[in-house]
Amino acid sequence: MEREVQAIYYDGATSRPQEATVCVSDMNSLEVRLPGGDRFQWPLEHKGMEWERSSSLLRLSFGEHPRRVLLIREELFIKSFVLRMHYTGRQGAYDRVLSFARSGPVLFFLGVIALLVCAYLWLLPWTAERLAMVVPREVDQRIGETAFQQMALAMTIDKERSEALQEFGGMLKLSAHHEPVYHVVTEDQVNAFALPGGHIVVFTGILGKMDSADELAALLAHEATHVEERHSTRMMARSMAGYLFLSLLIGDVNAVVAVVAENANALRNLGYGRGLESEADAVGQERLLANGVDPHAMVKLLELLEREAMEMPEQLAFLSSHPLTKERIEAARRKAEELGTPSAANEKLDLLFRRVVPHGDQPIKEIPSSDN
Amino acid sequence: MKRLAFKGQGGDLFVILLVNMLLTAITLGLYYPWARARRLGWYYENTELDGHPFHFHGTGREMFKGFIKAIGLLLLIYGAYFAGVATHNIMLTLIGLLVMFVGLLLFIPLVIHGTLRYRSSRSSWRGIHFGYRGSLGELYRICLRDGVLTLITFGIYGSWFAMNLRNYTIGHLRYGSSSFQYKGDGLDYFLMNLKGYFLTLFTLGIYGFWWQRDIFNYYVDNLNWNFQDGKRIAFKSTATGGGFFALLVVNVLIVIFTLGIGFAWAEVRTMRFVMDNITMIGDADLDSVVQTEQEHKNAMADDLGDLMDIGVFF
Repeated sequence: MEREVQAIYYDGATSRPQEATVCVSDMNSLEVRLPGGDRFQWPLEHKGMEWERSSSLLRLSFGEHPRRVLLIREELFIKSFVLRMHYTGRQGAYDRVLSFARSGPVLFFLGVIALLVCAYLWLLPWTAERLAMVVPREVDQRIGETAFQQMALAMTIDKERSEALQEFGGMLKLSAHHEPVYHVVTEDQVNAFALPGGHIVVFTGILGKMDSADELAALLAHEATHVEERHSTRMMARSMAGYLFLSLLIGDVNAVVAVVAENANALRNLGYGRGLESEADAVGQERLLANGVDPHAMVKLLELLEREAMEMPEQLAFLSSHPLTKERIEAARRKAEELGTPSAANEKLDLLFRRVVPHGDQPIKEIPSSDN
Repeated sequence: MKRLAFKGQGGDLFVILLVNMLLTAITLGLYYPWARARRLGWYYENTELDGHPFHFHGTGREMFKGFIKAIGLLLLIYGAYFAGVATHNIMLTLIGLLVMFVGLLLFIPLVIHGTLRYRSSRSSWRGIHFGYRGSLGELYRICLRDGVLTLITFGIYGSWFAMNLRNYTIGHLRYGSSSFQYKGDGLDYFLMNLKGYFLTLFTLGIYGFWWQRDIFNYYVDNLNWNFQDGKRIAFKSTATGGGFFALLVVNVLIVIFTLGIGFAWAEVRTMRFVMDNITMIGDADLDSVVQTEQEHKNAMADDLGDLMDIGVFF
């Protein structure tokens, strides 16, 4: 920092730039000489003095608004100036990271990507789930209640069969923290779903396909597990966290990247959704056993749905919300073998089942099939 | 005469974006306003007029404050709706919904105003600050009047709305003692977009690049810079449809084939294209501008304008 350098000086009063000469007078100030012959001292250790450095430009400013400004482009001078300022301890964390990044961009790039991917794949879902679990279960109930009130307007609820189903479900202890409320809705779709907090909706379409009480018990066990394990809340927390994370990261980046990232996120959530379905199968089977129902019923239910999917490709609703794969059936079968059969059968279920699914009163346009 | 230039390098922007991403991720998003301030600063520093760079004075701290204010305001507006829903009362839910809609509508002019005031006051060239002297009341008047007209004309009046808004906001933009003027006409703008829309449809999208050129030209060619001594500088675009075609197609290819890594280079190409295609005609003396704007301390909602994708570019 011993040489004289050329600089551009703005006085803050007018837009006229001046070619100034800057030289170091002592360790703590610069001397600025203007073409008109004026010269003044520019203190370095002063509260009103700020400096910024971009890739090829050093910008010093001083004083109250409007500030006086010096621009210097001389590379060697910038280097020694920055060294001198850092020597007195005025370097931010940002500049440190930036100069580190500039020293090895490729390595830095790979490191950042690895870190971000790890954060997205493991840290983020873990944190999101922990946060979701902190949310009290009453919130689940309120969300579910509000959602059900709105949905109920558009659904035809079969009161009588709903009561029968409620009684059927009441025989089983499926959820420790919630009291499931069951509804039978007149609708040809082969589908059923659970809302957070306990509303479980079963369409007549899926009931009509059932032959025995244990299949119904398996369906309810599956749906009640969604409620008990708070799958909706966890799913929401995860997808929201993922979405926020990605949009913050690529908020600065353009549309193409955003679309790719959002789809990747959705795909990942879909994968997570499949994981939750398998969990609902497995935990549901444990509940079945505890309630005196053979866990093989879950396998029967899944096989029934698989047949359904093949016979009526236009009614794949259950398939899209409950992705059904050979592996899932296989997993349920293995789990059933592992659990074994219950010591005492739950016989009252059969009687109640006949009230939920009256014989010969199947609302489905029957397609000729070998069963029944 | 060509006086504007963009000097930034893709590699430089790439490193800055990467550092921003890292710091944003490890602070769980809290760093975002600071990252944004750094990035804006880089764009300004690399844009030059007559060989002198622009400067962005905004700080992450200011933007963070604006961000928090904006989030608070939005929560309040959305809160009205959710409070209504929570009561399970249809009437109260509808009232909450109404409050939310009106709140959001009233929010937009506030964001435009805040963004313009903040962003302009934090911009300088040769040590002289820009400034915005429009009034919030007048902006509300324009937005309400034109908003209603746009609604009842099924969107057709939107072209007039856009031009009135642009005329007003740019007309109140200043650079020290000099000022800016935009002379857009709703009918011209409407016909241009109508032509662009149908030709793009008929040519299966190919005309889209020429439509883009027309919009760009319309924004640039109607812009004037008036000086205190009565002299003026007119802006003139030299962009062509072919130029837009090359810019956009190559940019998309760069981004896709590098899986997004090349984004910084595509961005730099765009900035170069824009700056290279704006020429300035007139003999006004750029040295003669005097500092006039006071220091503006309120970072109203700059960051929110960014969230809602209301780009402010001048």
